[in-house]
Amino acid sequence: MKKHLKRITRRHFLTGSAAALATVSIVPRHVLGAPAVSPSDTLGGALIGVGGRGPGTWSEVVKSVEGAGMAVTKLAECDVKWLDRADNRTKYTDFRRVLERKDIDVVAIATPPHWHALISIAAMAAGKDVLCEKPMTRFIAEGRAVADAAQRYGRIFQIGTFGRFGASRDSRNVVTRKIMKSGLLKTCPAVVIKRGGLKVKEWSGLVNARPQPVPASLDWDMYVGPSPMKPYHPHRHGGTHRGYWDYEGGGLCDMGQHYLDPLTWTWGKDDTAPVEVEPHAPPAHPEACGMWGWIELKYADGFTLVFDSGEWGAPYDRRQPRGISLDDLDDEGRKQIAAMPDPEPLRSFGEAVKTRKPAGGNAEAAYRTVTILHLANIAIRIGRKIRFDPVKEMIIGDEEANRLVNLPMRAPWHL
Amino acid sequence: MPATKPNVAALVEQMPETDKDIQAKQEEAKSAAQPDAPDKPKPRPDRWGAASKFTGPDPDAASKIFTEILSGGRDSLMELLALVREPSDADYKSYKAGYVLHGLVILAGQGGNERQRRLLVDTLASQLGQEGYSKAVKGYFIRELRLLGGKEAISALGAHLLDDDLCGDATQALLTIRENVAPQFRSALKKATGRNRLPILQALGQLRDSDSISILKKALADEDRDVRHTAAWALANLGDAGSIDALLKSADSAEGWERIEATNVCLLLAERLTTNNRKSDATRVYGHLRDTRTGSNERHIRAAAEKAMIGF
Repeated sequence: MKKHLKRITRRHFLTGSAAALATVSIVPRHVLGAPAVSPSDTLGGALIGVGGRGPGTWSEVVKSVEGAGMAVTKLAECDVKWLDRADNRTKYTDFRRVLERKDIDVVAIATPPHWHALISIAAMAAGKDVLCEKPMTRFIAEGRAVADAAQRYGRIFQIGTFGRFGASRDSRNVVTRKIMKSGLLKTCPAVVIKRGGLKVKEWSGLVNARPQPVPASLDWDMYVGPSPMKPYHPHRHGGTHRGYWDYEGGGLCDMGQHYLDPLTWTWGKDDTAPVEVEPHAPPAHPEACGMWGWIELKYADGFTLVFDSGEWGAPYDRRQPRGISLDDLDDEGRKQIAAMPDPEPLRSFGEAVKTRKPAGGNAEAAYRTVTILHLANIAIRIGRKIRFDPVKEMIIGDEEANRLVNLPMRAPWHL
Repeated sequence: MPATKPNVAALVEQMPETDKDIQAKQEEAKSAAQPDAPDKPKPRPDRWGAASKFTGPDPDAASKIFTEILSGGRDSLMELLALVREPSDADYKSYKAGYVLHGLVILAGQGGNERQRRLLVDTLASQLGQEGYSKAVKGYFIRELRLLGGKEAISALGAHLLDDDLCGDATQALLTIRENVAPQFRSALKKATGRNRLPILQALGQLRDSDSISILKKALADEDRDVRHTAAWALANLGDAGSIDALLKSADSAEGWERIEATNVCLLLAERLTTNNRKSDATRVYGHLRDTRTGSNERHIRAAAEKAMIGF
């Protein structure tokens, strides 16, 4: 096995360093006390979407790459609000001009989520590895396309939430995962309830926002991108975009992937999705994410997951939280679990880049996790119980709900 | 039909105010009670976490209102549509009528409501060609038809494919309906000019409309780069073996991002050819990419082509 396939050439290193020194402020590693890293172990990087989470996402890339014994230099940044300052050398407004650069190996994506899938796919098509902010996508079909692209191009994808790394080192979670993966439980009696912390009201949208003039520095057409074109309003941009179905999915999508990332690993749900989703919510607004009370999601094996917002209506009281343990198995089952090897440690983004093996939060796992959130939001938007086929990735028997699974994109953007 | 005609305007008004509106009314009342108190600065509408949110009505109460309006038949629906305004309209007052319309769409889209679904779709579709609605409101109607519409809405939607403001919404609605919509796009393409051609060409590719191959090939020579690329993508998505040489040549001669994009189109073409049981054609594409993508920045393309050919 090759230890490190992803190296940049000395030419790229020199070119990249010169460009970086020109306008991007970088503190040399030796100043920070880090061990010296040879130029061939220094990756070229780019940050696409510099506002909000951008700096944090980039710092995750740096930390992860350095943790794997390499270094990364930020050579380019891109943001659609830079029409007044883009120089197309280190500052861009069009991500495609960043991705065509041969000296960039890894890309951090921290745009609003309606761009996550397309930029991830484009980056991987250009041969880059990707660390993409959560939520992974805006709708279900995008996640499959990202996972397929990672497979097709043999690129590394890591979602920008890392809870599963800690969870996978907890011995109780390891036992739970082993029990779930063993198939020894005929029906899973577990009920996991997430109460509060989902910022439902905070990230709901305006239903009466009068259009305003587009700021001169903002490329609104590029910001809207694959989503339906709507008139500009500042609330649709710059963090509060979370409150609009066109760009994200409210507080549930903003916070949900953080919460679910360790949970889907622990409960062995990285390769499937809920089959039944029931909401308790007022009728949804077609444009603005709004309030909801609770959502109950059931998997085919009986595992039940509940989001209880605590922000609207009566609290969820259908079932009580319940875990699983070795006590749920007979003696023979307990022996089988004891004989099972522990799961392999999850690889960080940096380790994955170095070894060319999937990261712990890889595209397939991230896709299955974000699908839970999208299904919950579809149920909220449609206001009734839905049934989902995790293999065909379609909602069963509800054409209207199914029309929210795969949303057509605004040309020229497409999956 | 109910014994008494629903009072649609009164029912719409039963929807709750937004908390911003409630807050504004409270402040107004407070100011009236304390005329000498200094005015407090109003919160910026774009401030994170600022009020002005939609809390929604009680679901059961809302359902009764939606059902009552639907039961009023076409007259009640027409009355409702006449109340709908978008925030960009000069006479916009509140979100309520549009929200109620959406509630009706969701209710009628529930299985077992075919008569009501049809009534609502027919009513919405019939108004797309009428005067008296702003473009923004028509766009709203079209987006509702994207959720609920079927074959009965196709021609009304197709009529808006040449409208600069409504083309995008109409395209998305037709693509969602999917069946029997290709003729609308083919017909519109004959008259379309400028950027309006993009969604139409893309839609023909998404529909994998084999009757469009010749017009897509013609678009490969268009002056507009986006039109050329969209046509290439559409032909690739169709899995058109007759486009292999043109797409490979285009990808080979491109540079920068355009080369990445065009090469990606070739990989898509090969995948579609494989799915269409044209493995020898797919092998030709993959083999070409394997042999020509030799630079270090295209190793992943070579690897993708090699990996795909392993199964052949």
